[in-house]
Amino acid sequence: MTQAEIKLCSLLLQEHFGEIVEKIGVHLIRTGSQPLRVIAHDTGTSLDQVKKALCVLIQHNLVIYQVHKRGVVEYEAQCNRVLRMLRYPRYIYTAKTLYSDTGELIVEELLLNGKMTMSAVVKKVADRLTETMEDGKTMDYAEVSNTFVRLVDTHFVQRCPLVPATENSDTGPPPPAPTLVINEKDMYLVPKLSLIGKGKRRRSSDEDATGEPKAKRPKQSTDNKEPIPDDGIYWQANLDRFHQHFRDQAIVSAVANRMDQIFRSLPVGYNISKQVLDQYLTLLADDPLEFVGKSGDSGGGMYVINLHKALGSLATATLESVVQERFGSRCARIFRLVLQKKHLEQKQVEDFAMIPAKEAKDMLYKMLSENFISLQEIPKTPDHAPSRTFYLYTVNILSAARMLLHRCYKSVANLIERRQFETKENKRLLEKSQRVEAIIASMQATGAEEAQLQEIEEMITAPERQQLETLKRNVNKLDACEIQVDETIFLLESYIESTMKRQ
Amino acid sequence: MAGNKGRGRAAYTFNIEAVGFSRGDKLPDVVLKPPPLFPDTDYKPVPLKTGESEDYVLALKQELRETVKRMPYFVETPEEKQDIERYSKRYMKVYKEEWIPDWRRLPRELMPRKKCKKGAKSKKAEDAGKGPSLTNPVDVLKKIEELEKKGEGEKSDEENEEKEGGKEKSKEGDDDEEDDAAEQEEYDEEEQEEENDYINSYFEDGDDFGADSDDNMDEATY
Repeated sequence: MTQAEIKLCSLLLQEHFGEIVEKIGVHLIRTGSQPLRVIAHDTGTSLDQVKKALCVLIQHNLVIYQVHKRGVVEYEAQCNRVLRMLRYPRYIYTAKTLYSDTGELIVEELLLNGKMTMSAVVKKVADRLTETMEDGKTMDYAEVSNTFVRLVDTHFVQRCPLVPATENSDTGPPPPAPTLVINEKDMYLVPKLSLIGKGKRRRSSDEDATGEPKAKRPKQSTDNKEPIPDDGIYWQANLDRFHQHFRDQAIVSAVANRMDQIFRSLPVGYNISKQVLDQYLTLLADDPLEFVGKSGDSGGGMYVINLHKALGSLATATLESVVQERFGSRCARIFRLVLQKKHLEQKQVEDFAMIPAKEAKDMLYKMLSENFISLQEIPKTPDHAPSRTFYLYTVNILSAARMLLHRCYKSVANLIERRQFETKENKRLLEKSQRVEAIIASMQATGAEEAQLQEIEEMITAPERQQLETLKRNVNKLDACEIQVDETIFLLESYIESTMKRQ
Repeated sequence: MAGNKGRGRAAYTFNIEAVGFSRGDKLPDVVLKPPPLFPDTDYKPVPLKTGESEDYVLALKQELRETVKRMPYFVETPEEKQDIERYSKRYMKVYKEEWIPDWRRLPRELMPRKKCKKGAKSKKAEDAGKGPSLTNPVDVLKKIEELEKKGEGEKSDEENEEKEGGKEKSKEGDDDEEDDAAEQEEYDEEEQEEENDYINSYFEDGDDFGADSDDNMDEATY
């Protein structure tokens, strides 16, 4: 893993799980597979803390374990999976758009907890939904169950590998660690549960400012008298399926944009008749983007979507856009030119782009130094003499994509660090503002007068309010940037993965 | 390769025109230092996307950030010993729900070991000298029951508020404290004993005190 990726993983782990888990996680990402004692020794952490950290990481599917010979268990981090934590809000939002609030909360609970049994998820989500409903109304378990089953049917949620049932309990000591297995056809098999019940609202008497009675709640809310019907059957969010959905979305919206251009040059027709559909498909197939290809004439014409080409186009469009925004439109013109013609000499670039030599040279070198463009040497003579060699400019899309992806990881790490810095700088003010809000809230609950509330509000001076506003604006901006850079990360990762699969 | 390196200076090994310079041009200066940390950009960045869905995802992200801090998976760094024990700290502790992993799915070496309450020294010696001991849940259970009968009142409020399996986790948490200086450990014991007089969980409605002490530890709790 590159330094940039490790740095980003470190920041994500720290924000999600704290410093101890971060230390262990980053250590494993750096060093690879290691047994428990070596981890404790190398990181200088106590054994207990390492155990706790590993439990958390394994629960969240970020670390896996393997039993090696002589019973040694080794732990390995899944760096790519750690990077996915950046995308959690997007997964949850997608679930909301597809399966509304219930789906949203199911996916959120699964992501927050790593893995859960279906009964636990249903109960938790029903409780949460009940909180948001009007007084007297509750959410039925059956409705939540239905949504859960639909999520499983469409593969957004899948089963975790299982502990195999032990038949031979008398052959020697039990293994140091279970070997988890999952059968392909069991991955989306929902156990027959009859979950009957309704969500429970948290009683307002439980909420107390001192926080002490909160300790009661864990005991009250879980019934340990009844056995769990689906004990041992755990579910997790299927991130690959979400990725498939994102990819489809990206391609559809790209084609839709394209269609608008074509649509404007066509005669207006409100009903899509067969003729018009044929026309559209032909246009799509002939389109230089090559998203849709015609693979035969059976049935009137067989059309196929070329996913790899589609992803390639999206990645290329991303590269072009970055060049345009960083170096200007003339640079972008040169870039597109080299992309189109594949290999060009210095002189040819100047001629085709119709840009004076000095400027063209300058732009080419700028792009070259940042690795958007590369040089291809073609020797004329076997001794590779530089005076007798062609130097051709070319764009290697795969390596440019990799370079850009690396920059994206760095960007996100920078954004997170800056956000943390901003928050830390204003920590005192933030705490003060939270305290004041808490006071106001409790006073409102006990029915205070307007004048009293105003007095408390004035505890925060006007310039302080200004500072808080600025802080909020900045933090929102930085957060929004992270989200949008992650969209680019997704496109580039998808393209790179698709290309590597074909090799 | 071959070429006049030391003799004539103005002879390049390649055709200078191929790279775009004509003969006699002033070559650009050689850059001897790393590029500036925050270079001026000629082109300002494109504004961010805005819209309802973007706002919603942003709100989700910020809420998530707050929520994960309160989850039991967020492992707090144990605080260093302070010069003065703050009385208020005791009442500002945020109670988190305990999380007990499903031990059937994890390597056995990850389970916390059975520990004696008193005698932190002997426990430390145990830890230092041992190889990976594979503890049996049933043994631990028995040990806990023994200890319960022995050490009445010590840390019992924590144990009664959580389920059986949770006792292991609380022991683990206690061990972290025990690893600190012994003085703090003694103070903690006193602290816990004081709280015994006011344990709320003793008289919870609808709950039998001690009814959960015989539970099967294998139940996963969330």
